[in-house]
Amino acid sequence: MKRRKHELSLTIAILFIVVCLLGFVIYPIVEVFLFPKIGDFLSILKSERYMRTALNSLMMVILSTLSATTIGFIFAFTVARTKVPGRKIFKLISLLPLFSPPFMVAFSYIMMFGKNGLITAGMFGVKTNIFGWHGLWLAQTIAFFPVAFLVMEGVLQSISPMLEHAGRNLGATGFALFRTVTFPLARPGVAGAALLVAIQVLADFGNPIMISGSFSVLATEAWMRVEGWADIAGAAVLSIFLLVPSFAIFFFQRYWVNKRSYVTVTGKIAQVEIQKTGKAVKWTLFAICAIISVLIVLVYVGLLVGAFVNGWGYDWSPTLRYFREISSRSKELFRSLSYSIVAGFSSALFSMVAAYLVSRKKFLMRRFVDFTCILPAALPGIFLGIGYSIGFTRPPIDMYGTAAIIVLSMIFWNISTGYQTGIGALQQISPSFNDAASNLGATSMRIFREIEIPLIKGPFFSSFIISFIRAVTTLSVIVFLSTSKNAVVTFSIMNLVSDGFYGKAAALTCVLLVISFGTLGIAKLLMGKQAQLFKV
Amino acid sequence: MENVHVAISNVSKTFGKSKVLDDISLEIPRGSFTTLLGPSGCGKTTLLRTLAGFYNVEMGEILIDDQRVNDVPSHLRNAIMVFQDYALFPHMNIRENITYGLRIRKTPQEEIGKRLEKTIGYLDIGNLLERTPGQISGGQQQRVALARALVMEPEVLLLDEPLSNLDAKLRVSIRAELRQLQQRLKITTIYVTHDQSEALAMSDMIAVMKDGRVMQVGTPSDVYYRPNSAFVASFIGAVNFIPGVVRAVGDDRIEVEAKSGGATIAAREKPRGSGAGNAPRIGDSVTLAIRPESIKLLDKAAAGGDKQNFFNGKLIRSIFEGSSIRYWIDVFGAEILADVFDPGENILREGTVQFKIDPERVHIILD
Repeated sequence: MKRRKHELSLTIAILFIVVCLLGFVIYPIVEVFLFPKIGDFLSILKSERYMRTALNSLMMVILSTLSATTIGFIFAFTVARTKVPGRKIFKLISLLPLFSPPFMVAFSYIMMFGKNGLITAGMFGVKTNIFGWHGLWLAQTIAFFPVAFLVMEGVLQSISPMLEHAGRNLGATGFALFRTVTFPLARPGVAGAALLVAIQVLADFGNPIMISGSFSVLATEAWMRVEGWADIAGAAVLSIFLLVPSFAIFFFQRYWVNKRSYVTVTGKIAQVEIQKTGKAVKWTLFAICAIISVLIVLVYVGLLVGAFVNGWGYDWSPTLRYFREISSRSKELFRSLSYSIVAGFSSALFSMVAAYLVSRKKFLMRRFVDFTCILPAALPGIFLGIGYSIGFTRPPIDMYGTAAIIVLSMIFWNISTGYQTGIGALQQISPSFNDAASNLGATSMRIFREIEIPLIKGPFFSSFIISFIRAVTTLSVIVFLSTSKNAVVTFSIMNLVSDGFYGKAAALTCVLLVISFGTLGIAKLLMGKQAQLFKV
Repeated sequence: MENVHVAISNVSKTFGKSKVLDDISLEIPRGSFTTLLGPSGCGKTTLLRTLAGFYNVEMGEILIDDQRVNDVPSHLRNAIMVFQDYALFPHMNIRENITYGLRIRKTPQEEIGKRLEKTIGYLDIGNLLERTPGQISGGQQQRVALARALVMEPEVLLLDEPLSNLDAKLRVSIRAELRQLQQRLKITTIYVTHDQSEALAMSDMIAVMKDGRVMQVGTPSDVYYRPNSAFVASFIGAVNFIPGVVRAVGDDRIEVEAKSGGATIAAREKPRGSGAGNAPRIGDSVTLAIRPESIKLLDKAAAGGDKQNFFNGKLIRSIFEGSSIRYWIDVFGAEILADVFDPGENILREGTVQFKIDPERVHIILD
C-alpha cells in the first residue's frame, strides 16, 4: 500500500516535470520558429541593414571573445600558477562582475569614459565618444572575462603538477615549459572557456543597449524591431539568427571540447611547491592584472559617485536626493525582490527534483528531461523573452502584463545551473551508498530522507542563491515581457539611462548591487566553505 | 670516497609545521640500486623529489659527484625521475614523449634517432611509438616512462614507486626486468617503495625510513636478518618478538631467558640496536627477533640428539598459503608464528608440536 503511494507520487512528479518543460521551455522555442512567415525570413535576409547587424554581432563575438579569453587566461595563470603578490585580491575583484547586472559595466563606463566622463573629461579634459563598437568591446571584455577566468582557473589547477615537474626535470624551463607542457594541456580548457564567453557576448543585450549607440547588434536590433515598429515577426527572425549559433556553440563546447579535455582527476594530489616565476614575467602579470582590476573597481566607483552627485558632468556636489527618489520606484524594487525570491526558489526546487529523477530513476523521457533542463543555458535571454512574449501574451494563454509571466521566464531561464549543480551533487553520492543503506535495512524513503536530502541541501541552497541573483539582475529575458504593471528594476534602469537620468539609474543599480552582494555575503556566512557559488 | 656517487648529508625539510625530513645522511655508491623503504609519510618520496630538485634543500647538502647541487635547478642535475603515475604528457604521442627531453636540449636529429632506437630496444616498446599515452596499458606506460628517463642517459635514475599502479603479476615480472636492465646499464638508481618484498628483491642497498629519519642502511640480508630495531624487523616481513633477559654470555653464544614462559633461547651472533657495538651483558633486557621461517617444526620421530633450542608448544591454528603453511603456536607466553615450506598435505591440526630454532637465526635487539 505504502509502496503504491510512493510509486504514484513518483509518477506525478515525473509528469509534472515533463509537462512544465514542454510548456515553458519547448513551447516558447517552437513558437518563435513558427511565428514568422517565410516572407519575414526572406525580407530580413535581403535587407542590407540586418546583414550589417549580423556582421556587427559576429565582429563583437570575435573581438570580445578574444580579449576576454586572453585576459581571463592571464588572470587564471597568475592566480593558479604563480606567486604574484595580490593574487587573492585579483581573484576576488574579478569575481564581482559575475554577480552584477550585465548592463552595469557599460552604464558605468559611459559615466567614466563618456563625453562627460569623470576620467576622460573630468581628469584629463578630453572629450571622447564612448558610444560605439569600441565602448562595447571594452564593456564586454570586462563584463565577461571573469567567466573565462573561472573556467580556466579550474583547468589550470587540475593539470597535474607532476607533468610540469616531469617537463622541468627533462630540461624545460620558463617559457619553454609553458609552451610545450602547460599551455598545450590547458588548450582544450581555453577553447571551452572561449566558447562560453562567445555565447555570452552573442546573447549580451544589456551592454549594447546602453553603450553601442548607432552600432547595432542582433540582440538590440530585435528589441528595436518590437519597440519601434511593433514588428514581432522581424524580432523573432533576428532572435533565431541569435539562437542558431549560440545553440551550436553551446553543444559543440559541451560534447566535443569537453571530451578532448586532458583533465583527469587523480586521487592523489601531491604537495607541490609552485616554482618561482622570473621577475620580468611576474611583474608583467602583476601589471596586467592590476590594470584590469582597476578597470573593474572603476565600474563600481562610477556607480557610487553617480548615485551621490547632483548632476553628472556639470554639478559634482554631493546629494542624497536620488536615494530619496528611489522610493518613487519602490514598486519596481519590491517586484524585483519578490519575483526573484519566488523564481529563485522555484527554479532551485524544480531543478533539484529533475536532477534527482534523472540521476536516480529510470523512466520514459528521461533523456528528454535531461536535455531540456540543460537547454536554457544555450538560449540567449532575448530569445526566451521573445518566446514567452509570443507564446504567453495572447489566447489561449494570455499572461500579458502579469507577474506570472516574468516569474515563469525567470524560473525556466535559470533551471540549467541548478540542474547541473544537482546532477553533480548526486553523482558524488555513489549508488553503492544506497545499496549499503538498503542492505542495512533502510527503506527507499528513509534513504532519501536521511542520506540524499542532507547531501543535496547544500547544492540546493547554492542554486537558489545563484538563480535569485541571476533573476534579480537580468534584463534581456524580461525586456520583452515588461509593462508598467510588472516592470522590475532592471527595466527601469534601462529606461532611465536611455533618457539620461544617470543619477537615479546609478542609485537604483547600487541598490541592486547591495541586494546581490548582500545575498552572496549572507549565503557565504551561512554555508561557509560549502557554498559552491562560483561555478560557471 | 671515490665510490660514492650521491651523498646526502644532514638534510632536513619541513612542510608547514611538520618535519618531513629530519637530519638525513646517506651515501649512495656508484652504479648501485639503492632503495628508500618505508611506510607512507616517512619522507622517502620527499627525499627523492629533493634529489630531483623539485624541493629546495632547507638544511644540509646534497652532493652528486662531489659537486654541491643544492642550488642547481632540476634540469641541470641530470637526475631523471620516473613518476609514480608516470606523468606522461597526454598531448604528445609516445615518440614525442620519449624524445621530449632531447628535443628541449636541442639534441641533433640524428642523435635523437640513435638514442631512441637504443632505448626502445631495451624496453621492447618499438610498436607503440605513434600511439598516445591514453591508448596503451599501464604496464606499457610504465615502460614508456622509463624510456623517457633512460633516453636522457642520466647520471642518476630516480624511481618513485614506479610499480605501484600495476597489478601483482606484472609487478613481479617488471621488477626482475628493471633490475636486469639496471645491472646491464650500471646506472646509479634510487628507488622509492613501501613494498618490502620489492626492496629485498631488487636492491644492492636498502635505507629503511620512518618519520623522516633513516632507521637502518644495509644490504637486503642485513636489514632482513639483522634489523637494528623492532620497527625495521616488523616492517620487513613477519617476525616474532620475544622479550627476554640475558642470562649467560659465552664466546660464541648468548643465552636469553624469555620473560614469560621461562624458556632459555640461545643465540649466536653479534647484537645490534641503540647500543650497537656494545655487547649485551648479563642481566640486560633484550628483545629477540625470530623470522617465522626460522622456526623448524619437527616430526616427533626425528626428535633426538642435540636438544639445543628445542621447544614444545601448543598449536593454536593454521593457514594454508600454497607454497607454505603458517602455524600459530602458543609458547614463550605468546603466539609465535612458524612457516613451513613445501608442506604437502600433511597439515597439523592441533596438539603439541616440537620445534627448534637455529641459534644463527636468533637476532638480539638491545632494548
